Amino acid sequence: MNVKTAYSTRASVLDAANEIRQQLLGVEPTMVLYFASSTYAPAALSEAMQTAFGATTVIGCTTAGEIADGIMLRHSIVAMAFTKAALKRFRVALVEDVNEKKTLKEKIVRAMKSFEECYGAPASKLDPGRLVGLILIDGLCRAEERVMEKIGDLTDVTFLGGAAGDDRKFEKTYIYGNGKAYTNAALLAMIEPATPFDVIKTQSFRCLGKKLLATEVDEDTRTVMRFDGKPAASAYADALGVPLETASESFEKNPLGLMLDDEPYVRSPQRIDNGHIVFYCNIKKGMELSVLESTDIVHDTRAAIEKSRAKLGSISGIISFSCILRRLELEKDGLVESYGKVFSGAPTIGFSTYGEEYIGHINQTATMLVLG
Amino acid sequence: MAGQIKHIIDTIMAKRTLGNPMLISTTRTKLLLKGINTIKFTDESPDDPVVIAQLDEIAREFGIILNHEKQL
Repeated sequence: MNVKTAYSTRASVLDAANEIRQQLLGVEPTMVLYFASSTYAPAALSEAMQTAFGATTVIGCTTAGEIADGIMLRHSIVAMAFTKAALKRFRVALVEDVNEKKTLKEKIVRAMKSFEECYGAPASKLDPGRLVGLILIDGLCRAEERVMEKIGDLTDVTFLGGAAGDDRKFEKTYIYGNGKAYTNAALLAMIEPATPFDVIKTQSFRCLGKKLLATEVDEDTRTVMRFDGKPAASAYADALGVPLETASESFEKNPLGLMLDDEPYVRSPQRIDNGHIVFYCNIKKGMELSVLESTDIVHDTRAAIEKSRAKLGSISGIISFSCILRRLELEKDGLVESYGKVFSGAPTIGFSTYGEEYIGHINQTATMLVLG
Repeated sequence: MAGQIKHIIDTIMAKRTLGNPMLISTTRTKLLLKGINTIKFTDESPDDPVVIAQLDEIAREFGIILNHEKQL
């Protein structure tokens, strides 16, 4: 057995942690990864989960919804135990105070040093075909872009993951490790799977053939003031051919995409503020964005997983980080159950995120680590 | 003058990826997310000093020494 999954919907922290432990009895995990609703008291939960698994490395974060195997959940804890047959080696590093710009690089360098010690090579020389990185980051820290950029500067190993959620309260999200709960933090794990692996990035959009050039932005607040020299909200409304007054109703179905060949890196509008558009991730001045239109999430996700299965031969586990906006769209369309079933053929855990990480910080996407 | 931006991009790509197709793809993505769309620049693109400075900074963060910086 490579991995085993478990979940609990018990409301009490101790009951839920014990139920997870019971479901994983008989497994000797080297690492346990879990995602938990923000309804559980953060410090108590992290302590209970660490206690349940003793000296094992136990890491996780809060969510805006969970998934285990083929079931979409809310107010639950989902967990995956990794045995030695799944992971040859791994090293975890916690980065605190991620929103302190001046010290961030130094902290990421320190995390990389610890990976270098583990794998015996400079971060820049670590093999992306053999190693893969996971990142769990505070979903309200507004530092995800900088953290991902610094990681990407230092190593070619692909880092993927998600920004923690808090069940759409947008108050506080937590990262779990060492039996403690952290805010304004990121947890990086550099892992060497014992089997072949694949990384999926999937989003369900097509280009409408209309482009917007960001001509005035405030990166720190993720705000675009002007597209093509016009107030951003008006330019967006004009591009879609909808009235300015109702433009925000199109945000979920019509986000913008930074295009590389035919692949969008989605930037989702959050709200209109005084004619400007505030996004869920930043847009730099001079970026040209394509107006997108949503397509079939269930079909595209199934196709992405099947492609990965064909590449690997079989799948022993999936860790999924999927945008909360995708879940909301699935809920609106009555497709939550169908989406869950896409994962029913493989041990899976995942959560609904406040942003997905894959090379950079992106929106309305699912990133997944697939173990063969 | 024209073409310097394309030349710097090509240098960064060559030194960072050593021709590895996987790294070519991820490095192009990293540059895109930093605001540099590699396919938009050709040998005829004007030498915009703002973009050149941006690429110099990216090269430094990547740990790459560019020839035109060595001469300074």
